[in-house]
Amino acid sequence: MCSTLHLSDMIAEVIDQNIDRIKGDLSKSGLTYDRLQDDVLDHVCCMLEEELESGEDFESSYDKILDFIGNKTLENLQHQTLLLLDKKFQSMKNFTYLFGLTTAIIAIIGALFKRMHWPGASILLAVGIGLVLLVFLPLYFVINYREQTEKKNPVYAIVGYFTMATLLCAALFKIQHWPGANVLIETSIVLLVIGFIPLYVVNAFQKVGKQKIGLPYVVMVLIGAAVLLTFINVNMSKDLLDIYKDETVINEQRIEMIQDRTDKLIAMTNDTAFANVEESIMKIHSDATALQMMIKDMQNEMLVYVKQEGTAVGDLNHIDNRGAGREAIVENGKGGNFARASLKYRIMLDELIENPIAQSQIFDHLDFTGNVWNYEYGINDVKHDPLMKNYFKLSDASIGIALSEYVAISYLLHQSFE
Amino acid sequence: MIASDLLKGTLRTIVLKLLADNGRMYGYEMTKKVEELSAGKIKLTFGALYPVLHKLESDGHIITEEEYIGKRVRKYYSLTEQGRSWTEKKVDEFFEYVSTLTYVLNPTPV
Repeated sequence: MCSTLHLSDMIAEVIDQNIDRIKGDLSKSGLTYDRLQDDVLDHVCCMLEEELESGEDFESSYDKILDFIGNKTLENLQHQTLLLLDKKFQSMKNFTYLFGLTTAIIAIIGALFKRMHWPGASILLAVGIGLVLLVFLPLYFVINYREQTEKKNPVYAIVGYFTMATLLCAALFKIQHWPGANVLIETSIVLLVIGFIPLYVVNAFQKVGKQKIGLPYVVMVLIGAAVLLTFINVNMSKDLLDIYKDETVINEQRIEMIQDRTDKLIAMTNDTAFANVEESIMKIHSDATALQMMIKDMQNEMLVYVKQEGTAVGDLNHIDNRGAGREAIVENGKGGNFARASLKYRIMLDELIENPIAQSQIFDHLDFTGNVWNYEYGINDVKHDPLMKNYFKLSDASIGIALSEYVAISYLLHQSFE
Repeated sequence: MIASDLLKGTLRTIVLKLLADNGRMYGYEMTKKVEELSAGKIKLTFGALYPVLHKLESDGHIITEEEYIGKRVRKYYSLTEQGRSWTEKKVDEFFEYVSTLTYVLNPTPV
C-alpha cells in the first residue's frame, strides 16, 4: 500500500517535470487552441501514468504514445473542433447544401419542362444552372477547401469549380442554342477527364472515415443528374436535325416536280396564241431562276464551309455545325441580297397578276419574304442555327419560289385564253 | 471492435449518457469507461471525442470545471439542466432507432 502510493507520487513528479516539454510538443504538432490543448495534455498525461505504472520508463512510454497519436492527428483534431465551433461556418455549410439541393431541383424541373416543351423551361434552366454556377459551386468548393487539413491545397477546389462551371455552361449553351456551346463542351470534357475526376477520386479516398460524406455526395449526384438530363435534351435536338434533313430531301423532290410542270407550261408559250403574255412569263421565269440560283449558291457555300461540297442532302454530316449559316448566308451578304431580290420578285408578281385568288396563293407561297424571313427566321437565328436548319429553311424558300412561279405562269396562260 | 463509421453518429449520445450516469467526468475517464462497458469493443479516440465535447459545450448542453492535477489542468465535464433533458430525448431516440433497425435487419416471418 505504502509503495503504491510512493510509486504514483514519483510518476506524478516525473510527469510534472516534463509537462512543459509535452505542452511544447503538442503546440509544435499544431495543437495551439488552449482549451483543447488542456484536454489533450491531460489525456496524454493519463496515458503516460498508465504506461509508467506498468514499469516502463518515461522516454519509451512517451515515444510509444506519440507514435500512437500519429503525425497529423492533433492538427486535424484542432481543425475539426474549431470548424465545429465556428457557427458561421456551420450555418454556411448548411445553407450551401440546402441551396444546392434547391437549385439542382429547379434545374431538373427545367430539364423536364424542356423535354415536355412546356413554357418556362428556359427560365427555369437558366435560373437553376446560373445559381448553381454562381452561388452553390463557389461555396461548395470554399467549404471543401476549408475542411481540408492535411496539405491544404487549393488545386482541387479550383479545378473542380472550373470543370463543373464549364460543364454546366456547356449544357446550358447547348440547349439554349447559344454560340460557343461546342467549344465549351470540348473544354469541359478535357477538364473532366484529365483534371477533375482523378482529383475527386483521390480526395474522396482521403476523406473516407474522416468526415461525413453523405449529403455533399447526394447533392453532387443530383447536380450530375441535372447535367445528364440537359444532355438528353441536346440529343433530342439532334433528332430534330435529322427530321429537318428528311424534310429537306422531300422538299428537293417536290421542287424538281414543280419545276418540271413549270417547264411544260413555259414550253407552251412558243405557241403564238400566248404572244401577249410571253414577255411577262419569261420575266417571271428568269427572276425565279435567278432566286433559285442564289439559294443553291448559299446551300453550296454552307457545304463548302464544312468541306462536303457536292454531297447529296441525305448523306450530309456535320449537320449541327453552327458556323455555316453565319459564313455562307449572313456575313458575305448573300442572305441579305436574297431577301431583297425575293421581295422585289414578290412585288413584280403582285403587279403582273390581277386575279385576287392567284394573288393570295402567290402571297402564301412567298410568305418567307415577309414575316417569316425577317422575324421568325431573322438574321440572328441564321447566324447561330445549325447547318441543317438553315439548309431546310432555304429549301422551303425554294419551294415557295417554285410554286409562286408555277401559279403565276399558269394564271397568265389561263388569262390569255379568255 | 466496432467500426468507427458506425460509431460516428452515436458518439454524442454515448457521451451524454455517460455524463448522465456518472455525473462529472474528464476525457480520459470517458474513454476508459466506454472501453470497460463495451468489453473493449468500443475505443473512443481523442480525435473523435474532444470535438464532440467542445461542440456540446458550445451548444450549452454541458459545462466544464477545471482542476489542477500537479501542474496541468484537468477539465471535468458535466450536464447542464438543458443537457439533461436533451440526453433523455436523445437516448430514447437512439433506443427507438436500434429497435427499428433490429426489426429491419431481422424481419420475423409473418
